[in-house]
Amino acid sequence: MSLDLIRDILIATVPLLVIFPTLFAFTTWLERKALARIQNRVGPNKVGVPLTRYGGRFSLFGLGQPLADGIKMLFKENIVPRDADRLFHLLAPILALIPAMLVLCFLPLEFPWTESLLPVQAFLLDGAVIFFFAITGLNTLAIFMAGWASRNKYSLLGGMRAIAQMISYEIPLVLSAVVVVMMVGSLNAAEIANAQADWNWFVFTPWGLAAFVIFFIASLAEINRSPFDLPEAESEIIAGYFTEYSGFKFALFFLGEYIAMFAISGLAVTLFLGGGAGPGVAALPWLSTVWFIAKIFALIAVMIWLRGTLPRLRVDQLMGFAWKFLLPLSILNIIVAGFAWHAQQQASGILKAIIWVACLLILYATAKGLDQLNRPNVRPREYKYAE
Amino acid sequence: MSLLGGGIFKGMAVTLRNFVGSYFYKDRLTTNDYSWRPSDKLPQRAGEYPKEEGEQLRDTTTVTNYSRNFPMLLHDGSEPMDTIRCVACQICERECPPQCIYIEKSTEKKENAGGKPQFFPATFDIDVSVCMSCQICVEVCPFDAIVMNSQFELSTPDRFGGLLLRRDDLLKSNGYYHKIHPEEATARDKRIAEEKAAKEAKKKAAAEAAKKMAEEKAKAEAEANEGTPDMEENTE
Amino acid sequence: MSEQIAFWMLSAIAVLGALVAVRKRNLIHGVFALMIFFAALSGLFLLLLAEFIAAVQILVYIGAVGILLLFAIMLTERVTGDDGRRMTSRGWFWGLVVAAAVFVILLLPAIQELPPPEAAQAIDPSVKELGHKLMNPYVVTLEVLALLLTAALIGAVTAAQGVRIPKEEDSSE
Repeated sequence: MSLDLIRDILIATVPLLVIFPTLFAFTTWLERKALARIQNRVGPNKVGVPLTRYGGRFSLFGLGQPLADGIKMLFKENIVPRDADRLFHLLAPILALIPAMLVLCFLPLEFPWTESLLPVQAFLLDGAVIFFFAITGLNTLAIFMAGWASRNKYSLLGGMRAIAQMISYEIPLVLSAVVVVMMVGSLNAAEIANAQADWNWFVFTPWGLAAFVIFFIASLAEINRSPFDLPEAESEIIAGYFTEYSGFKFALFFLGEYIAMFAISGLAVTLFLGGGAGPGVAALPWLSTVWFIAKIFALIAVMIWLRGTLPRLRVDQLMGFAWKFLLPLSILNIIVAGFAWHAQQQASGILKAIIWVACLLILYATAKGLDQLNRPNVRPREYKYAE
Repeated sequence: MSLLGGGIFKGMAVTLRNFVGSYFYKDRLTTNDYSWRPSDKLPQRAGEYPKEEGEQLRDTTTVTNYSRNFPMLLHDGSEPMDTIRCVACQICERECPPQCIYIEKSTEKKENAGGKPQFFPATFDIDVSVCMSCQICVEVCPFDAIVMNSQFELSTPDRFGGLLLRRDDLLKSNGYYHKIHPEEATARDKRIAEEKAAKEAKKKAAAEAAKKMAEEKAKAEAEANEGTPDMEENTE
Repeated sequence: MSEQIAFWMLSAIAVLGALVAVRKRNLIHGVFALMIFFAALSGLFLLLLAEFIAAVQILVYIGAVGILLLFAIMLTERVTGDDGRRMTSRGWFWGLVVAAAVFVILLLPAIQELPPPEAAQAIDPSVKELGHKLMNPYVVTLEVLALLLTAALIGAVTAAQGVRIPKEEDSSE
C-alpha cells in the first residue's frame, strides 16, 4: 500500500471524525434552546466561557453548556449493574457509535481539500446507498446488546421495542429510496447527487415528494427520534435501553444517536434535496459543502420542531402506521413513479404537467384512503360507575 | 374533508408561535428565575431557595390558566369542613384508572354547603406518586367537589407519607380555584347556578302542580263526599 | 501485500467467530459471535470487489437473520445456557471424518491448481450488471422465489393470527 493512498484516506476520513462530533455538541445546545423556546422557557443560559470566573459575565447564550456536559460525563462514575454482562455492557455503546460514524463516509460530502485526492471515498462505491442501509441496521444490534446486557427489565423492553420498530420502519425507508435509485439507475451516491443538478431535485416531483415524506417519517423512527422514541420512552420504561448506563458510556450512546441523525439527514439530502446543489455552486465549488451541511441542519431543525410538537405514539399505533400506511403507500409510489416516468419520456409540454398533477392526486388520494381505512374506532370514554 | 396530516401542521404552527413569541413577549416565559447567582451561597436543603411569602400561589398563577397537576377538593366558605362539597359517594374512587384515591365515608351525616345533612369523607387520600393527572375524577364528580389544582412544587424528603395528600391538604376554597383557573371556575359556577335554578324551578313547578292536584283532589273529594255521605260513615 | 494482510486478518476473525459461535453455551454470545463471522465474510467479499454481495451479506445476514435469531432466542428459556453440563455426542469421530471429507472436497480444485474457467473472468461485478442479469435471464427464478417468500409471509400472518373464536353476542356491551 503506497503512502499516498494512506495519506489520502486520512485526509478524506479524519475531517468527518472531527466535524460531525463538533456539530453534535452544537446541536445538543441548539436542541435544548429550541425546545425551551417552544415551551416558553429560556433554556441553558448560565454556562459561559470556560476559565472565566463562573462564566456568568460572558454567558454567550449558554454556548458553554455542551462543553460542561462533556466534562461532566467524562468524570462521572461508571456504574455497571452487578448481574450485568460486563463485556457486552462495555461493547454496546461502542458498537452503537461505530455504524453511525461509518455511514457518514457514504454521503457525497466533498470538502474543498478532498478534490485532488485519489478516488478513495466510499460514496464512489457502486452500491453506496445499499451499504448505507446495511450498516445503519447494525445500530439495532447495539441497542439490543445494551438492553440485554444491562439485566434490567426496562432495558430489555427498550431493546425489544427498538428491534421491532427498526425492522418495521426499515422497509418503508428502503422502499422510498428505491424510487430515486430507479430514476437515476444507480446506487452510487455521487451519481444520485449529480443527477439532481440544476434544480432537478427529486423532491420537486410528485413521487419524489411522497418518497421524501415517507423517508423522513421512517428515518425519524429509525433513529429513535420523537414522536417515535418508544425504545427510550421516559414515561414508560425509564430510559429504555440505556437505563443502566452512566458516565461516558451514556455519552457515547448520545453521540451515536446524534451522528445517526446527521447521517440519515445527509442521506435524505442526497436522495431528495439535491445533495450539495444550490445557488452559487458553479462559481464557488466549496459552497456545495456549505449547502450540504445547511440542508442537513434544515432537516434537523424540523426534527427538533416535531419533537417539541408531537406526543409519543403508542406501540400499536407505531406498528400500524408502518405496516398499514407507509408500506402500501411506498409500494404504490414505486408503481406510480415507474408508469409516470415512462409516460413522461414520450410526452411533452402540457401533457407532462397533466401527468405531474395526476400522479400527485393519485398518491394523495391513496394516502387519504389509507388514512380513512385505518381510522381507529374511538368513542368517548364510558364511565362505569358515574351516571 | 380535512387535509391529511393537517393536525400536525396545526400543532407545528402553535409551537412556532411559542418559539417566536417567547423572544418578543417576556410575559410568555413560564419559568421564573429563582434569583440564585453563582456568587450566592448554595442552597443546602431542598426547598431552601429564596422564596417570598405566598410565592407558590404567584408561581401557579403564572403557569397558564389551563395547567393542571393533581386534584384538590373544593369547599365554599371559610370553614372547610362545614362547607365541603364532597359527599363521599366514592364514584371518583371507583372510576380512577390508577386507583390512587382512597375514601372512607363518615358514619354520621353533617350539614354541608347545600344546607342538607350529608355524609362527608372521613378520609380522602390521593397518592400523587400514582396519580396520572387524567382529570377523570373531575369529569365524573356529580357534585363539582373535585377539580384540578396547578400546584407543582410537591417535592418532599419522604417519598411515602409526603406524597400521600390527605383530605385537609386537598381542601381548597372556591376562591383559590377562581384565582388559579379563572375562566374554568366562572364557567363552573355559572353552570352550578343554572342547574340549581333549574332544579328550583322544577321543584317549584312540581310543588305547584302537587298543590293544584291536591286542591283538585280535595275538591273532588268534597264533591264526592257531598254525593255519598254514607260512605264516610261506613269507613268510620 | 495489503490485500494479503487484510485477507489473513479477516479469515482469522471469521474462523474465530465461527468457533466461538459453536462453542459458547450462552446463546446471545453465540449469536453475536456469528454476526462477527458474517461481518468478516462481508469483508472478504469486499476484497473480491463484490461490493453488492458484501452489502447484501450485511443487510440480510446481520440485519435480518441475526435479528431473527435474537427474537427466537428471546422466546426460549434459559438463554444464558448451562456451562457446567457438557453435551455428549457419541458419534463425534464420524462427524470429524465427514467434516474433513467435506473440507477436502471443497479444497480439491484449489489443490489441483486447475486453470480458472473462462467464464469467471468475463463476469462484471457491477450492480447494474447484476440487476440486468436478475431481470433478464433469471427473471423466472426471481419471481418464483418472490412468490415463495410471499406465500411464506402470508402463511406466517395466518399462523400468527390463530383461530378466531366467534364472540358471544352479549359480550359487545
